[in-house]
Amino acid sequence: MKQLFNNRVPAARTRPSIRQVTIEYAVLILLGVVIVALAILSPSFFTFGNLVNILSQNAPLVIIAATGTFVIISGNFDLSTGAMYSLAGVLAASISMAFDTVWPALLAAPVIGILLGTFNGLVITRLRVHSFLATLASSMIFTTIAVLITGGSLITVTTEGFSALGRERIGGIFISVFVMIAVVAALWFVLRRSVFGRHVFAVGGNPEAAEMSGVRVIRVRVAVMALSGLAAGIAGAIGVSRIASGQPLAGTGMELQAIAAVILGGTSIYGGVGAVWRSVAGVFLIALIGNGFDLLSLNPQLKDLVTGFIILAAVGLAAADRVRR
Amino acid sequence: MKHVTKTIAVLGTMALTAGLSACSSSTAGDDSLSLVFLASSSQNGYNQAVYEGIEGRAAELSEELGVEISTEIQDGQFDANTQLSQMQNAGTNGQFDSIIVQPHDGPGLGAAFPLGQDVPVVAVLNPIGPDINKMEPQVEGVVSTVASPPKNSAKLQAETVVDYCADIDPCKIGLLAGLLNSPLDIERVKVWKEVLGEHDNIEIVATLEGGYDRDKSLTAVANLLQGNKDINGILSIADQQTMGAQIALENAGIEPSSIFLNGGGGTTEAIKAVREGKWTNDLMSFPVTMGERAVEQAVNAVRDEPVETVIDSDTLLDIGPIATKEDLEANPDFTGQWNG
Repeated sequence: MKQLFNNRVPAARTRPSIRQVTIEYAVLILLGVVIVALAILSPSFFTFGNLVNILSQNAPLVIIAATGTFVIISGNFDLSTGAMYSLAGVLAASISMAFDTVWPALLAAPVIGILLGTFNGLVITRLRVHSFLATLASSMIFTTIAVLITGGSLITVTTEGFSALGRERIGGIFISVFVMIAVVAALWFVLRRSVFGRHVFAVGGNPEAAEMSGVRVIRVRVAVMALSGLAAGIAGAIGVSRIASGQPLAGTGMELQAIAAVILGGTSIYGGVGAVWRSVAGVFLIALIGNGFDLLSLNPQLKDLVTGFIILAAVGLAAADRVRR
Repeated sequence: MKHVTKTIAVLGTMALTAGLSACSSSTAGDDSLSLVFLASSSQNGYNQAVYEGIEGRAAELSEELGVEISTEIQDGQFDANTQLSQMQNAGTNGQFDSIIVQPHDGPGLGAAFPLGQDVPVVAVLNPIGPDINKMEPQVEGVVSTVASPPKNSAKLQAETVVDYCADIDPCKIGLLAGLLNSPLDIERVKVWKEVLGEHDNIEIVATLEGGYDRDKSLTAVANLLQGNKDINGILSIADQQTMGAQIALENAGIEPSSIFLNGGGGTTEAIKAVREGKWTNDLMSFPVTMGERAVEQAVNAVRDEPVETVIDSDTLLDIGPIATKEDLEANPDFTGQWNG
């Protein structure tokens, strides 16, 4: 039972080798290398302003990727997070403009996200459709709804105070960064310290065994997808507030960025193994490459090339880890 | 049994013949025309505005000419292969009398020509064929192009930077390109660099990729400003990107009106920003009018009436192509034809 609920239980308490530590913490090592390199190459990198910018710019993606860790650990995929992000943002913008309101509109985004995520969960569990296909289909539905609401255009929000969540600061740090930290902390706690978190690992590791152990597998899967929707909704609220406009395609590609960050961090694509901090590190590793290219005025056409090699390096190390074990 | 088989064969042949003749052309009578607009993406505000012009003018022409003109839109999904297939289908299946297309990839779309049937094609925004700066028809079947060479507009944009920087040395400029894997945008950036490179006082501090996206541009410009707080201007390809740049400047405590900041697209938000003095200028675009002019050429081509092979989209209205605050004050009623 203990083995079932633990994400990584060593066979024996032996001192890990340097190679094992390197593989285990590959994402942190790569992150450290990039940070040191940028600090040496650009005097603008290690400034308060730049670091705050990096945190703020990536807050929505961190929230989605951190929650995506739950989804992937549970053995599922969510390809609709980008579409949910867009739809939640568009609806928040519409509500704000229709009723001249700020916080009810922004709070509507996570509520909408939960509903969309629950829909995904029910489709996956009740119709027994693989999460990959179910969320691929639902992403098309959600995107089309967003396009129909906006008519393909965008909704510019002029409501006073709507940009506070995305642009206002407390002590020089964007409010969105505090939201991101709170969400990540809560997710870490739930995954590592709660019964639900253990059930998520169990469902992803061996659903049949989990079922026999009394875990309500269907309920856990629906809850995980709903959580993913909630995260997309929170991220959507931050995103729409930041640019003060609801755009039907704002989240295009975000789902793949989030999945890339989760896998880059070292969470197993096969489920059952992973951690929230890994996904956060994965997001910032990719983000720092982009930040570095802009700070150093490098050819942006090479950005994807470098990002691709770094993802390959990290995933290669993870593969070596699997072979070893 | 033999009789039944024979009857089925005859009926089948009749049905097939009827079907083929129905497919061969929709212009059985002179009192109806069917047009299709192949949008680069139907989920895009610019394409929607072009289609708005097509629909509106088609309705007017229906009354003026006493011909029922029907229109429909197909979604190219910002995908060159999808649009190529749509072009081949529309040019072969006989459903449409004319095709209006906003090419996603003009050079690539040339592969669809010549079409299976003699269906006149009108291109909007970008030409079809290998030369993205040549507006005259480059492939058989294209009868008219409503566009302007990207080289021209890029040169005009860069020249406004040169004017702005005339008394500033060094004048630090950031280039905010669209997509650096797009031939159109690569050409524009090349022209920008050529024009700016002729002036020693102008220093290009970075070339960023905005991806026609507000959030992506916000991030790129925010990063740029970390090392270049004394920047004198940002030369942007598109309004969506400039909106993102404006937010980044404001976040960094830089008043947008204190530097050179331009847009491209003529969106309602851009017009407002130029009027308020936040942006230095905006490269105008009139998608609704472009749609109107395109449908006129398509109908003329089908009716064997004279067609304008090139309509310069920069001169469709009396504003622009580069509009400053003063230009817009001279046209107080103009608010822009689209938002995106």
